[in-house]
Amino acid sequence: MFKLKKLIPYLMLIPALALMFFLMIYPIFWNVDLAIHDVEISTLNKVWDFIGFKNFIQIFKNERFLESLRVSLFFVLGCVTLQFVIGFAIARILVEKIIGTKIFRILFIFPWLLSATIVGYSWRWLYNDFSGLINLTLMGFNIEPVPWISSPNVALISLIIANVWFGTPFSILFQESALLTIDHQLYEAAHIDGASPFKCLTKITLPLLRPFIAINLILITMWTINIFDLQLIMTNGGPLNSTTTASLYMYKQAFEQGKMSLGATVGVILLAINLCISFVYLKLLRSERA
Amino acid sequence: MRKKKKVIRFVLFLILIVFTIYTLAPIVWVFSTSFKTKAEANRFPPTIIPEEPTMENYVFLMNNSQMVRSFFNSLIVVIPATILCVAVSALAAFAFSRYSFAGGKTLLVIIMGIFMIPITMNVIPLYLIFQRMGLLNTYTGVIIAYQVLVIPLNIFILKNHFDTIPKTLEEAAVLDGCSTFQRLTKIIMPLSWPGLAISAIFTFRFSWNEFVLPLLLISDPDKMVFQVAIYNFLGLYRIDWGHLSASIVFGMLPIVVIIVFFQKQLIQGIQKGSLKG
Amino acid sequence: MLRKSIVMLVICGLLLGTGVILAKDQVKLTATFAAPKDRWDMLMEVAEEIINERHPDMDIEISYEVLPYAQARSKLITMTAGETPRDLVSVDQIWLGEFAKAGYLKDITFEVAKWGRIDEFYPKNVEGCIYDGRFYGLWSWTDVRVLWYWKDLLNEAGVEPEDLTTWDGYIEAYEKLKPVTLSKGIQPIHLVGAGHSPDMWFPYLWMSGGDILELRKDQYGTEKYFPVFDSDAGVKALGFLQDQVGAGIKPQIDHYWGAEFADKKFAVMLEGSWLLGKFPDDFDFSKIGMVPLFPTPEEDMTSSTMMGGWILAVPSTSEHPELAWELLTILEDPDVLTPMLAEFGYLPTQKTIAEDPEYASVLEESIPFFSELTKALPIGHGRPNIPQYPTIAENIRMAIEEVYYGRKDPEAALEDAAEKSKSVLGW
Repeated sequence: MFKLKKLIPYLMLIPALALMFFLMIYPIFWNVDLAIHDVEISTLNKVWDFIGFKNFIQIFKNERFLESLRVSLFFVLGCVTLQFVIGFAIARILVEKIIGTKIFRILFIFPWLLSATIVGYSWRWLYNDFSGLINLTLMGFNIEPVPWISSPNVALISLIIANVWFGTPFSILFQESALLTIDHQLYEAAHIDGASPFKCLTKITLPLLRPFIAINLILITMWTINIFDLQLIMTNGGPLNSTTTASLYMYKQAFEQGKMSLGATVGVILLAINLCISFVYLKLLRSERA
Repeated sequence: MRKKKKVIRFVLFLILIVFTIYTLAPIVWVFSTSFKTKAEANRFPPTIIPEEPTMENYVFLMNNSQMVRSFFNSLIVVIPATILCVAVSALAAFAFSRYSFAGGKTLLVIIMGIFMIPITMNVIPLYLIFQRMGLLNTYTGVIIAYQVLVIPLNIFILKNHFDTIPKTLEEAAVLDGCSTFQRLTKIIMPLSWPGLAISAIFTFRFSWNEFVLPLLLISDPDKMVFQVAIYNFLGLYRIDWGHLSASIVFGMLPIVVIIVFFQKQLIQGIQKGSLKG
Repeated sequence: MLRKSIVMLVICGLLLGTGVILAKDQVKLTATFAAPKDRWDMLMEVAEEIINERHPDMDIEISYEVLPYAQARSKLITMTAGETPRDLVSVDQIWLGEFAKAGYLKDITFEVAKWGRIDEFYPKNVEGCIYDGRFYGLWSWTDVRVLWYWKDLLNEAGVEPEDLTTWDGYIEAYEKLKPVTLSKGIQPIHLVGAGHSPDMWFPYLWMSGGDILELRKDQYGTEKYFPVFDSDAGVKALGFLQDQVGAGIKPQIDHYWGAEFADKKFAVMLEGSWLLGKFPDDFDFSKIGMVPLFPTPEEDMTSSTMMGGWILAVPSTSEHPELAWELLTILEDPDVLTPMLAEFGYLPTQKTIAEDPEYASVLEESIPFFSELTKALPIGHGRPNIPQYPTIAENIRMAIEEVYYGRKDPEAALEDAAEKSKSVLGW
């Protein structure tokens, strides 16, 4: 009887753990298996050729893969920084409760609730060279239209703008809820002591919010690294692969070129990168808590 | 001093307005175009408010049986997926919140770690596994696959909510002969309603919007979910800005419903610190 | 025990018997096609009726999905991987080798022989259905890419259609059109920057005497394909694209398969004959003009164009292979196919449709410019359908984009692409 009681929490965890094992852990083994074989769409249902780590060696010699890593890095850095900074700033203003806070809050959440499909198509159209709202407006002011998504120099920035539009609301929500946990009296006390608003921010707000910030960053970093449907729809990775992030590269190798092993190899590398990043974040989170 | 404060508040307000324009302009543009005729949608310079408002784009959309059908297919998949996900996460969150057991902390970290695994990379093997298990092309398969999207986040949110409920309440209930399961369903769940609501909204949001999993896991046109249908539809008709925007507005519907009906829960859930670290 | 089995058998037999009498066999045929959708709607409506008439004992329903081009390809890949049951698919002519090799398409050599109509197809189109000596589908229609223009805009800019037929004239025309069209929100000349840009480059390659691949013997004497698109002809051809960009013509990464021309967003566009299907029903076709060729480097040179088209094939996973094949033959029936070709401006692959006055007259009457378009057929070339082709095309696409965006000059870009293609082809 006593023993059974000890088992209760484990029993409760079984459904969640089973689902996650089945959907997340188990596929990783498959992925590794695919990555050490040479499998293309035409050999998928036949015997797989074992080739060891050849795929990994080759992929790191592959210019396009390396380029996709660079694109990913820029994309993730840009998106995460902007989403977080804007999100935090807007949240900070919202808690000031100027006027219409409730309405603003609802309006701001809106983009995040949409799907990447819808966001992708909407922005693709906004950016359209000859019938997008942005260029039509520019042409209305007699300004030369900007090749938002049709120039390799601009496309990635346009993509970041769209993804920031899409993702910032989450950071607003998250940071607002975090800011609300701070006792207002702390600020009043600091104010009486003559602390400047900037000092309040660096000495009170940010330290208190550290755990929130860490989790917020983890979540948006992961989402940004892994998103590829937005790029797929908005730019299809082009022009000149300038918006092909590593995640999109993986998808295209596997499901457009039919190179399953190559796709899986990129997948394994992405996983390693993800785990490294989350390890760093979690480490930070831990040390802050201590 | 007071005046300075007023100026600052005004500037802050301006920032909010600018951000509102950034947020809303795309949506307003899409909404307005969905009521334009083809000729007007192509007109240069463009009109902001439709001059001859028309419903023809929506009629066209409604006549596309695949779009309408996929809308309901999505509901068939997403509603059970949401219920299952919230139930499974609540159970796990309850265990983490109310029991201290060997390996508990490690498990929690592992679960959060699993959240770091990109679904993208699992797409290829998941496809092959589902194929071998006969789950391809079934609603069950998609419902199961959707679980992966938010379970860790939900466990996290719900655990925080459960933690805020004082244990003394349950202790009294246990003395009255309340079972473990009843503690969860009769005491904790009703008290953490905002937390449940927010995790349900999150689950709904992620499942309803998920595109890649159903794109690959379902290939029967009769079972296609909405995001995939809209993707195909827009791929076919995207030059037709009127059709495009009408379908985008249609796709926003469930989300607007959520905002309108659940905004209170959403805000409450957030303000109660569901996302605390 | 025996008695029990007999009783069971009898019961089963009775049930089956009554079942057959009471209800028709419900059969659902599934299909996956590539966009645009209307053509399939038109074909399937007729085909469903005919196949049900032929099988009064069955209730046959055809359920099909239509996907955008790139997704149609991804879908075929995932369906191959998942061995998803499907009865009919549309395969781009260039994908045939790949999917046949992967074992996704059913070998229909025997059925084709029994059918006996294959001799009615043009030899070029028959070849395209064959991989490794076996039939895997039927090439149902083809198309040619030609030069389209809006007459009023050319007039206003003082450009003669003949001016567009040489490389220099084409670029000069851009300069003349620019001041006229831009103020109307119209782009002067279209340049493809989408995924199929190689298709729009090949004609320049061919007309300059080059080719994509050629068969060569390797050191062991085996014949293999060798990439030759980086020849002088290739460099010259890509140079023309570079000149266009240099003159200010913007590569369009969005492609709407002629709808952008029909909506008058471009004054001049090189696009397939299907463009005619993008105009509204009551459109007055005398407003637009067509030259059945691609511009040539010099006057009076023989031009080239590219022929593509769709192959209909039965996947090896079909659950009703006989019915699927029957459906396929119904779709190839001139009576069924011709009205669709006429409606959407596709060109026939069957001599019967092209030459028999009964059908040809239908096409002539309903496809504007039909007789003009057929002039482009003799200068039409096809692309190889070997399994490696899609990868090679991807390499060429990269080379074109590198030139579009000024990253490399044509020579270096093509050399790179050829180098990569060599390893794909096993050199």
